[in-house]
Amino acid sequence: MFPFATYVFKSLWRHRARTLLTVSGAAIAIFAFCMVEAVQKGLERLTSDEDLKQTLIVFQENRFCPTSSRLPEDYARTISKIPGVRSVMPVQVWTNNCRASLDIIVFNGAPPDQLRAARDLKLLSGSWEQFQSIRDAAIVGQSVAMRRGLKVGSQFTIGEISVSVVGIFASSIPSEENLIFTSLAFLQLSRGMEAAGLVTQHEVFLNPGVNADAVASTIDAMLKSGPVATTTRSKGAFQTSTLSDLVDLIGFAHWLGYASVGLVLSLVATTMFMSVHDRMKEHAVLQVLGMRPWRVFRIVLAESMILCVLGGCIGTLVGLIVLHWGGLAIGAEGVTIAFRPSYYISSSSIAVSIAVGLIAGIVPAMQTASVEIVATLRDS
Amino acid sequence: MALVEIRGLSKRFRKGEETIFPVQDLDLDIEAGEFVSLMGPSGTGKSTLLNLISGIDKPDSGTIHVAGTEITKLSRGQLADWRANNLGYIFQTHNLVPVLSAYENIELPALLLRMTAAERRKRVELALEAVGLTDRAGHYPRQLSGGQEQRVGIARAIVSNPKVIVADEPTGSLDADTSQQIQVLLQRLNREFNMTMVMVTHDPEVAKLATRQLRMIGGRLRIEPSVADIHQNTF
Repeated sequence: MFPFATYVFKSLWRHRARTLLTVSGAAIAIFAFCMVEAVQKGLERLTSDEDLKQTLIVFQENRFCPTSSRLPEDYARTISKIPGVRSVMPVQVWTNNCRASLDIIVFNGAPPDQLRAARDLKLLSGSWEQFQSIRDAAIVGQSVAMRRGLKVGSQFTIGEISVSVVGIFASSIPSEENLIFTSLAFLQLSRGMEAAGLVTQHEVFLNPGVNADAVASTIDAMLKSGPVATTTRSKGAFQTSTLSDLVDLIGFAHWLGYASVGLVLSLVATTMFMSVHDRMKEHAVLQVLGMRPWRVFRIVLAESMILCVLGGCIGTLVGLIVLHWGGLAIGAEGVTIAFRPSYYISSSSIAVSIAVGLIAGIVPAMQTASVEIVATLRDS
Repeated sequence: MALVEIRGLSKRFRKGEETIFPVQDLDLDIEAGEFVSLMGPSGTGKSTLLNLISGIDKPDSGTIHVAGTEITKLSRGQLADWRANNLGYIFQTHNLVPVLSAYENIELPALLLRMTAAERRKRVELALEAVGLTDRAGHYPRQLSGGQEQRVGIARAIVSNPKVIVADEPTGSLDADTSQQIQVLLQRLNREFNMTMVMVTHDPEVAKLATRQLRMIGGRLRIEPSVADIHQNTF
């Protein structure tokens, strides 16, 4: 047990306004760090999952926004004959905004049976049967549902598309929780789509061990002479390319995360310098009473770590709550990056808080521990 | 062997171009249970000698043995341990930790020693009783008078049963009445508990409490004649 815990806590409480300001500053900075980490992790999940390498996306050549890609639906039959292809799912995509947006709504229309088989979706409420039998039925990802306040039975209208919510789902892939799934036929025939017999993309599932790049080349070569030329890439590469603008921004945001950590460091270090400067004489007295310099060092370090870890815990907790309940996502061109809480985010934020607490406290602690007792008592 | 044995102790400071010798080739023995007062004009090395005996300052030459330990050879960390186990320090300005109650202030040195919580509590209660502040245990320094603060400082100095107590002008910042109370207390601690004390003071009345009065002049010691000596020589 740390015998000087009372002294440490009472010392922090002595300047409670300064302590609270420092803790809240650390909390805000660690909250920002959490959010940046969440975006990073979301992007990483979208682009580097192993499963994504064995799924191909066939898109119209030289097209980027889903509204501009229009492929014949029966390409699926041709693609499915290529060796190594397990199945092909035609997908019609509709999005309210092709640009980067924090509240992007993306509809994916696909054959319900295929969708159920291909995606790892778990209905939290509602039923698959209704989804398969009702024409305008939609199942909604829990993030969109949370953000837009949707539940089973709700009618959701955006633009010229209007759907009945018959299910809310969770997915093992967080970005999918930002999608709304309908049947393919419904989305193709919705007013304004004029896409009967056409789809935005084909999602190609490969057998294990198959060379994805070779299959992609084969698909593009085979369809080159068809009515619409295609570009086929792994799903990871497709999503990276689609989000290329955002990737740069997110890369920049990464530095903001580091800046937040730097902010906590300078904030806590400043507070600790002020605190030890105010109490030089007190620390000298403690050494006169028989406290070893090493123990004085640990006391100051403990104060610094308490400030940082307390702020870090608050910031992390608020961050996790916002990430969990906020259903936040950023997307462009029909692809979304989900901001989700995770053990990695919470543990890295706490680890950063501890490390910053240690670093911020080291110099003030050394200064205090090496104080000249006689000179300090005389000068104070 | 004396409890405190000082041999050939010297300390010098540089002050601009000038070198000052507050303590010069000083020898001194203090027996267990003695109450020694150090008087002398300002700047003659009283406080420096006290700091050297306390191990918070290092001499340039000479040795100090306290209860057989040569403290001049100890490192900074070892000196801290030695002080925790052997020394009680009474400051002129109390130097209590403002965020801690009287009880917690007195408990501080005891926290540095190996003892059970029950034993520590008992010692703090005894120290509080010895200085007559049992009813002020929960009070914070800002809620205490100057005299009460000094009593807490004294209780803090005796709580770990030190071999030596040093006091740097313990009544220097108190009014006459409060000073009188503290004098009585210090004398009682010496007489009833046989505590060895070394006290720096400017006040001849306070110095008279001591069993031996020393005067420092130019870094050297001079023994003051006791009241009994004066009587013997006069009559």
